[in-house]
Amino acid sequence: MAKIFEVTIWATGVLQDMEGRHASLLIANAADKAGKFVQAWDNYADLPDRVNVPLRKYARISDEEIEMRYEYENEHPEMVIIMQDAIIKGMNVLWGMPKGGVLVINTKRSVDDILKFIPNKDLLSKIVTVDANSIAKVADIDFMGGEGGVEVVGIGAGPSAPLVGAACKVTDAFSLENVVAVAANKDGVKKGYEQAVVTNL
Amino acid sequence: MPKYTVKFKIPKHLQVPMGAVIPSPKTENEGMITGNWRIVRPVIDHEKCTTCLNCYIFCPDACWQLNEKTEKMEWNAKYCKGCRICINECPADALTAEEELNFPDGVVRLDVPF
Ligand code: SF4
Ligand code: SF4
Repeated sequence: MAKIFEVTIWATGVLQDMEGRHASLLIANAADKAGKFVQAWDNYADLPDRVNVPLRKYARISDEEIEMRYEYENEHPEMVIIMQDAIIKGMNVLWGMPKGGVLVINTKRSVDDILKFIPNKDLLSKIVTVDANSIAKVADIDFMGGEGGVEVVGIGAGPSAPLVGAACKVTDAFSLENVVAVAANKDGVKKGYEQAVVTNL
Repeated sequence: MPKYTVKFKIPKHLQVPMGAVIPSPKTENEGMITGNWRIVRPVIDHEKCTTCLNCYIFCPDACWQLNEKTEKMEWNAKYCKGCRICINECPADALTAEEELNFPDGVVRLDVPF
């Protein structure tokens, strides 16, 4: 079985439900454009979501057909994306991560500020910080649609676009040009890529 | 044997005690930690606080308690979810919202969200 690249996204309940899902959809759709096998879905156990409660969204990318497609949690995420920085204080966000993973976080704070709240940071090889809220000019967008629903205004209009753009800097599982192609806010994706601060640990 | 079991002829294997027994949460229930939801926390200004107890009444998680010895309100970081209700309800403007990541303390880190 080919190696499966797992991405876990943490978002704030209700407020970022849609943006969190869009982040996973952007990743999966961008990799799909490159001909990979992909999956994107909401964490079953978090639904229905409640305001402020941390949620997980998942994406998987593989060169071959994903045989584990009915396993509904990513148990070994190599990439973790955080939509709202205070979640690192409340959750063990690196749960299950194999050594050498990457963390992408939407924050206006410095890397050192963030690392103070990650006790298992030795698992990380890289951390990427980007102020996606300022780039997207909104913290959260009104929620609509749902898993499997049609997203009328397109995917990635809010902070998910710059955040996934920033993630392109540290992975080759999905490329910047494909994320730009599938995102509603194309400029936001590019700005996220440019303004992302990558720190090697 | 209680009377009702005779009356309704409930078979033995279906008999259950009336009601349910749960361990008393006393003042805290560790199975329902909500302190890890917080994005902002309420910070109290004891100079302004009149100990009116509005925050004690309104907090959905009973996070504000009056310490009768010091006569000051005390906040419980383990269960405060940062909903800001107390901040809205405080008549003396003694509570303000501050970003959670400004504080090194009050870490409630779980593996699985409640
Ligand atoms: S509501 Fe405000 S003034 Fe009243 S006890 Fe609470 S903090 Fe003090
Ligand atoms: S913010 Fe909400 S949960 Fe926290 S103390 Fe105030 S009312 Fe209670």
